[in-house]
Amino acid sequence: MGYGRYLAIRLLNALLVLALVTLLVSVLFTKVAEEDLKSSIQEQINMKLRANPELMKQLSADPERFQQWYQNEYNRLIRAYGLDKPFWVRVLERTKDTLTLNFGNTKTPIFGETNVKKIIAAAIPRTVLLFTTAQIIVILIGLLLGVKAAQVAGSALDRAVSIIAMLTSSIPMWWFGMIAILIFSFKLGWFPSGGMTSTPPKEGFAYYTDILYHMVLPVGTIVFVLFGGWAWTTRNIMIGTMQEDFIMAARAKGVPERKVIYGHALRASAPPIITMTIFSLLGSLGGAIITEGVFNWPGMGRLYWTALQQNETRLLMGVTFVTVALYLISMILADLAYGYLDPRVKVGASQQT
Amino acid sequence: MRWVDVKESIKDFWFEFRRQKGGLLGLFLLALLVFTAIAAPYITEPDIPKKWTTYWEGNPTNVPPVWYNYFTAKKLAAHEVFTYNDLKVTAEGQDLGGGIKYYAFEFDYNNRYDLPPKDLIIKNIGVQLADLNTPAQIVITVYRPDGKKIELLSADLVEGSIYQLAKMGAVRNNVFNWASQFEDPKNLQGRVETIKSTMDVMEVIFAKAEPGILINPQPLHGDYKFQVEIFTFNKGDKVDLKPVQIILTGRTYGLMGTDYKGRDLWAGLVWGTRVSLVVGVSVAVLSVLIGIAYGVTSAYLGGWKDEFMQRVNEFVASIPTLPILILLGAAFKGHVTLWTIVFLLVMFGWTGIAKVARSMALQIKEQTYVEAAKALGAGTGRIIFKHIMPQIMPYAFAVMALSVPGAVLTEASLSFLGLGDPTAVTWGQILYDAQTNSATINGYWWWVIPPGLAISLVALTFVLIGVALDRVLNPRLRRL
Repeated sequence: MGYGRYLAIRLLNALLVLALVTLLVSVLFTKVAEEDLKSSIQEQINMKLRANPELMKQLSADPERFQQWYQNEYNRLIRAYGLDKPFWVRVLERTKDTLTLNFGNTKTPIFGETNVKKIIAAAIPRTVLLFTTAQIIVILIGLLLGVKAAQVAGSALDRAVSIIAMLTSSIPMWWFGMIAILIFSFKLGWFPSGGMTSTPPKEGFAYYTDILYHMVLPVGTIVFVLFGGWAWTTRNIMIGTMQEDFIMAARAKGVPERKVIYGHALRASAPPIITMTIFSLLGSLGGAIITEGVFNWPGMGRLYWTALQQNETRLLMGVTFVTVALYLISMILADLAYGYLDPRVKVGASQQT
Repeated sequence: MRWVDVKESIKDFWFEFRRQKGGLLGLFLLALLVFTAIAAPYITEPDIPKKWTTYWEGNPTNVPPVWYNYFTAKKLAAHEVFTYNDLKVTAEGQDLGGGIKYYAFEFDYNNRYDLPPKDLIIKNIGVQLADLNTPAQIVITVYRPDGKKIELLSADLVEGSIYQLAKMGAVRNNVFNWASQFEDPKNLQGRVETIKSTMDVMEVIFAKAEPGILINPQPLHGDYKFQVEIFTFNKGDKVDLKPVQIILTGRTYGLMGTDYKGRDLWAGLVWGTRVSLVVGVSVAVLSVLIGIAYGVTSAYLGGWKDEFMQRVNEFVASIPTLPILILLGAAFKGHVTLWTIVFLLVMFGWTGIAKVARSMALQIKEQTYVEAAKALGAGTGRIIFKHIMPQIMPYAFAVMALSVPGAVLTEASLSFLGLGDPTAVTWGQILYDAQTNSATINGYWWWVIPPGLAISLVALTFVLIGVALDRVLNPRLRRL
């Protein structure tokens, strides 16, 4: 199987997942819309009845006629709203809306907006800001620590990395966020307990330092929970590479140890490490989203939390669809990067079959 | 396999496993968790899951555990409940003439605390009135250790009356009037109404009778005697003191404190073990079994069937789990059961294992003994289950243990988002309540820390066991 075919299959896969999610979202969408419309239809009939006392008097005298009139009125409106069409036709119509990101409006304004598309557009950059910052720090700490641990395998540092990795991988990230708020915000009062800016937001340069100040706790939480696993993975990959013959050769040549590690070993370990980066990024996205909600950070995580709390089904569907789409795009990018970084994938793969 | 072989291999396994310190710690923790889960009804009460969805009447809300007192300068009163056996009945139906009957009981309360109970509640006095127009009369008096007495309340008593002393205006009046004789008039000047409406009634009752009693009450330790007297005015009236309940609402409660509904968090923690273990273990076992069966079948069948099965696997693997789970959870909101969650987690959880199992099976398939079995005429099922599966099982055990943490954490995350089984007592749901009631910014640490620690403990237990199993069982296959 060549690299091109491999990529084509991955792409097809992503499209299939997206189609499935679109369908799922559309089915749920149709159901919610149907419930909304039905209650609004009943409301409209009641309004009509109340606005016309004469009719009400006539109808209340004869319950059978009232029943008939009500049924007629109801059927007329059902037809007018297109609810008489078969379920799957409406689902298909909704699918078009979903694919064009037309999710409708929320019941109450969020971030001063009711249009779901605009709300999500406002939230994405904020999530990216928080999550990318945290991830860069995690990668830096993880790489340095992992390489150091691999260098002195079996030492106290190495064991400490393994233990930290085991401990932190057992912690729910969002819970650790709550603990961070409890300690650093409630007890010590060093950092704000949530939000992205002070209220009201500061002006000029202070605005950016204020955001940084608000980022400390959430970023710290994500970093603390993820760096151990990172360091451990790097260590394992590095230890594997250090046993290769070319490292022995480099050492025998008299290349300085620093250069052996950072120049030879780390470079050879780069492809798996980088793919691990992207996949762990994707994997930790879920946890980070909930953590965001805990810190009241006005990004995608907060939207999930708000949507669930306030029963904003349209918002929830929009957020889910966008998250899944972003996830799939990053996955394709990861595949692309892997093939680019590690030529063995292409050659090896085509030799296998 | 003969029984002797099984015994031998278990012995060998144990010999190796014994050297894994982390694994032994994990086993110990697992035993502890399983014991807690099984003994939950005996450690706490058997009807906790039923009680959990309701408000716990009479319990203080949002108070820390009793042992918190070891770390604070000011000692906070514990929660105490007195029932009939703790009371000293001094008069039961004594005839005072003119149809008036007299009942009285006393109870002692030793105040060792700097902050007294939040409230004193007297309820369930079994009174039956012959005529509702002539209610009975209740008089509540307290005799303090310094010899002074306060008449707290004199009020009507009808069926079902509940007296929450700290919340009653009459008690507030009486206590204020009694205490103001000790207070420095300077302190009261022009502020009588403010002080009266803001003072903590219970603190004043349990304070030293000295200037400052109203504005800055100092605790008076010692034995307090509360006397409750009941007068009935109709011959037909009956009073039964047996069901009487007296609650001194604490400022601390039990081993783990309480939440916003007054629920005992200790009970929630103990019962939460069950859900966490059951979900974690059943998801892990089911997904590993399904994954291995899938992977092995795929490898064995080969050709286009293998290709197809791999595509299906990749398809499921590339579905981002959490967003879809959230969407489904929201769609079935309120009707989600634990088994729904298990089912959903298994549905997304088998893919990784299937992939590894396939690659292992591909190797085993080429072994000569499989060829031999085939030559002898063994069927597909026999080869898969008798020859390939047993080779993969050791790996399976390690993977099972290692996939429990993920399941436990995902279940907790779903509950934390409010999408769990609403009838089950889970740690994630306790944390959800904590989050929606702003427990973190109010500093209710006893509500936030223990459930999360418990989740982490379960996850860690299985990580430890899994890593140890992996080292012992797969020295050869570890690198696959």
